Amino acid sequence: MWRLTLRSTLARRARLALTVVAVVLGVAFVTGSLVLTDTSTRLLDDQFRTATAGTDLTVRDAVAFDSAMGVEVARDPLPETTVRRVAALPGVSAARPLVRGEGLLEVAGRPVVPRGASVLASWEPAPVGAFPVRTGRAPAAADEVVVDEDTARAHGVRLGDTVTVRAVETARLRVVGLAGFGDRSGLPDSTVALVDLATAQRLLRLGTGVSEVAVVAAPDVAAGDLRQRIGQALGAEVEVATSQDIAAAGAKAARAQLDMIRVMLLALAAAALLVGAFLIGNTFSIVVTQRARELALLRAAGATGGQVLRSILGEALLVGVAAAGLGAVLGVGAAAAMRRLAGAFGVPLPDGGLVVTPRTLLVAAVVGVLVTVLAAAGPARRAARVAPVAALRRATAAGTGRTRTGLGLLATVTGGAAAGLVATGAPVTLLAVAATGALLGLALLGPALAPPLVRLLGRPLRLAGTPGRLAVEAAARTPARTAATALALALGLALISYLAVLGTSVKNSIRDSYAEVVTADLVVESARGEMLGGLAPEVHERIAGLPEVAVTSRIRYGHWRDGEQVSALTAVDPATLPRVAALRMTAGSLDALRGGGVVLAEHVARQRGLRVGDDLPMTFSHTGTRRLPVVGLLRDSDARALATDHIIALDTFATLYRERADASVLVRLAPDTDPAVARRAVTAALADTPTADVRDQAAAVAGRTGMVDQVLGLVTALLMLAVLIALLGITNTLALSITERTAELGLLRAVGASRRQVGWTIRWEAVLVAALATTVGVTLGAGFAAATVAVLDRDAPTALALPAGRLAAVVAVALTAGLLAGLLPARRAARMDVLRAIATP
Amino acid sequence: MTNRTAVLPSVTDPIPAAEPDVAARTRAVVKTYGRGATAVRALDGVSVTIARGRFTAVMGPSGSGKSTLLHALAGLDTVDSGEVLLGGTDLARLGERQRTLLRRDRVGFVFQSFNLVPTLTARENILLPLTLAGRRPDPERLDHLVATLGLADRLRHRPGELSGGQQQRVAVARALITRPEIVFADEPTGNLDSQSARALLGFLRRAADELGQTVVMVTHDPHAAAYADRVLFLADGRVDGELADPTAAAVLDRMARLTRSTDEEGA
Repeated sequence: MWRLTLRSTLARRARLALTVVAVVLGVAFVTGSLVLTDTSTRLLDDQFRTATAGTDLTVRDAVAFDSAMGVEVARDPLPETTVRRVAALPGVSAARPLVRGEGLLEVAGRPVVPRGASVLASWEPAPVGAFPVRTGRAPAAADEVVVDEDTARAHGVRLGDTVTVRAVETARLRVVGLAGFGDRSGLPDSTVALVDLATAQRLLRLGTGVSEVAVVAAPDVAAGDLRQRIGQALGAEVEVATSQDIAAAGAKAARAQLDMIRVMLLALAAAALLVGAFLIGNTFSIVVTQRARELALLRAAGATGGQVLRSILGEALLVGVAAAGLGAVLGVGAAAAMRRLAGAFGVPLPDGGLVVTPRTLLVAAVVGVLVTVLAAAGPARRAARVAPVAALRRATAAGTGRTRTGLGLLATVTGGAAAGLVATGAPVTLLAVAATGALLGLALLGPALAPPLVRLLGRPLRLAGTPGRLAVEAAARTPARTAATALALALGLALISYLAVLGTSVKNSIRDSYAEVVTADLVVESARGEMLGGLAPEVHERIAGLPEVAVTSRIRYGHWRDGEQVSALTAVDPATLPRVAALRMTAGSLDALRGGGVVLAEHVARQRGLRVGDDLPMTFSHTGTRRLPVVGLLRDSDARALATDHIIALDTFATLYRERADASVLVRLAPDTDPAVARRAVTAALADTPTADVRDQAAAVAGRTGMVDQVLGLVTALLMLAVLIALLGITNTLALSITERTAELGLLRAVGASRRQVGWTIRWEAVLVAALATTVGVTLGAGFAAATVAVLDRDAPTALALPAGRLAAVVAVALTAGLLAGLLPARRAARMDVLRAIATP
Repeated sequence: MTNRTAVLPSVTDPIPAAEPDVAARTRAVVKTYGRGATAVRALDGVSVTIARGRFTAVMGPSGSGKSTLLHALAGLDTVDSGEVLLGGTDLARLGERQRTLLRRDRVGFVFQSFNLVPTLTARENILLPLTLAGRRPDPERLDHLVATLGLADRLRHRPGELSGGQQQRVAVARALITRPEIVFADEPTGNLDSQSARALLGFLRRAADELGQTVVMVTHDPHAAAYADRVLFLADGRVDGELADPTAAAVLDRMARLTRSTDEEGA
């Protein structure tokens, strides 16, 4: 029996080829996602391990939490005496002071702005230091610097050159050496400037303070014991951590983002696989129909239903195994391509050798085989039910089962009800139920819905003469096939439309609320887009002093812990903010922030049942948990313009945080100044801070919505794979149905249809399936986007916006692609030998 | 593969025959296709007896129910009422799986067309019922059948590479390989040229004479029916007489009357 299955699979390999391709692409996507995220994780781990490799323990300022949302918390410097106290303890072989901070590098008058960090640090020899000098020598004097090899190579820095380092202080330094990082030649996406300890302290204005003390234990002392000893000696003001813990914590913070990317990639891979599953199911379904007589013959010769079922599933297993193997191999290559793609859309991932784990290969194999076999299960069950008598009769078309239609209606109604509930206030998780219901409903009702929809959409095709009419009839005559093929494509298009509509709605709403609330003439922000903002405090001082400027108001962001969750807050100046922003309070007042309270967005107060006068417990990295009185409530859209739902005063911020960077400076110009002149003056005043960007409102909005565009672009690009698989499905279905319609097409040719006409019959059918998919997909996508927008609207006013241009592009691309998908089958149909075609039973 | 005797000993094994000369019989079999106004009574109370070791032909005009009768006897299809006995086993009492096992082990088939699995060689097609049952072929039986049917040099070929006559001979070999109680042939010569048809009918005749094989053949060709020991006539789902030791002329004559009476009835 196995030989029979193998033989039959090989004999049909041409028909199954596209099925294999579909599984291969899906599996490659899964494998690629896993390889890419594994690789990035490994590289990050290595990087953090290298940084602390030569150190046993690190002594640093104690904080309540190390990092939030991937951003490490700023720590206070330690006094110089700490170094001596640690060094004096028994069991300490070495205690070295380290200074670390941010220092923008300027080469030949141009700032070097990496995507990652601009590191400024004190240089230390190995084993404590992780930056071995590869060329030249270590920095030894106040005007000397060593930069990393990567940066030097990329920007043409050579020994003896002079570069500028802009930290809190700015200095021009001579390059005396080039350093690596561990065995690599730099930190990914970063610049590194290494100076001697005193210079680092001066540039970062730390006085004699140090960022941390790196401790090397004496040979016979366990790190854990020493850690306890140092902790007891220095008290609770400092934290002593093993280098493993620090590496792990650092890597964990960096991985938080990576995990999001992994989830996103795997979700997209799942979508691609689902589309692939439709294609597989459809292919097997058609093949089973075409083999009905052969299967019936087997049944007549004594094959049991179970044997037929196992034979078809065996075919699926063979296809799955072959495709999964190929997909896994391709996936490793895909990982590199995906990394470049992500980089192109502004999501940088570390570069380095790919990591392929056994787990990845196992997942790839299981996913590929399972998807194929499950997708073929339905057709296989039908094959097992082929009656032996069918071998003797002409195969008859099966109608749409009543059970199927009933179940389909049930699923659709459930989905619709769930969507309705969400729109009227049920939790957003019900949207998943709605989506599943809709998909299931469509899959089940497809055969019943396809013929009328196809005839409706095919109206214009009737103008295209006989080929058009024949195409409409052909598509309507095999409703199950048409529906399954179209639904696969519809799924991809629905996701793309969903994201386009949702993204545009969110972007427009952000733009509208920003325009409504922020009345400032100019907004100064960091061009680097740091999560907490990266403007030096001098930026504000310099602008405030200009005669062209009437009002400046600073905004800062901070993280705090809200129970187990990390949340963000905005710090504002209650005195100046009302002059650059039209905030509408619904209770209390902004002014009351001066007393150290917090203003909440309305929906937060509603959800937590808080009113003005209540207390909100908030945990801060440096100061621990504080109870802040709620002094006012702000309209939701206004809170969104300020980026967070919690607002405190800058004075309060100063008592709670060590961070000193501003996120934005809102500027109102003096009444009688020429805006252009004023803008030039502001820009000129900021010449020393090259990363400070002077923006008008449109540019400020673009800065806020850029993320949405990036993610949208990346996800859409990756979804194109699912669409591609669905298009393969159209090609496949048509190619298979041509085999089945050989006699009919031959007859057409015999009675005088030209090759062109036969070709167009097939091409029009492909376009029709694409049109059906587009109609269903775009409607579904836009519908779900509308439901999601309704959910978002609860927390911050969000209006549905249909991106007409984008959706039109989706429609145009899908229809054109449908036409392309029909090209090959059409060619085959047109080239069919007339006599042989008619002779086919 | 399942050992049938271990699983279903009592149902598919022939009950020790009370009637040693009868291979199969039907009693008052009714089979209706469709529902309501479009219902067609394909078999309307058919009772026939198939003699063991003999070659029986079933004839009748199109729509007379002859193929339906064959399907019912072979366990390919179920009946609405009545008894269908194959060597003492009542097929009406068997489930789908049991009927499948019965077909595999006790019945052989030759169809008009599409008789062979296109992806298998001639040899594999012949051995298919044994493969499905997970049994080893008896090499002597295979050699004998292959030699008798003149297929020795064709065993490695796929059906596509064989002529229509050769394909039908492969089908006959497949039908006989399991030593079935009955071989059913449904218009086996329908797609063959006259020379191949004669050869094939000759083989079926020899199977009955030399191997004692019971053969039931549905045909509408009087020349084909003339190879049988006995011809059963069917019209409108009912048995309409029979003819022993038929000649083509006698069958033709009988058919002509049958067709006329049917026409008159219809008019």
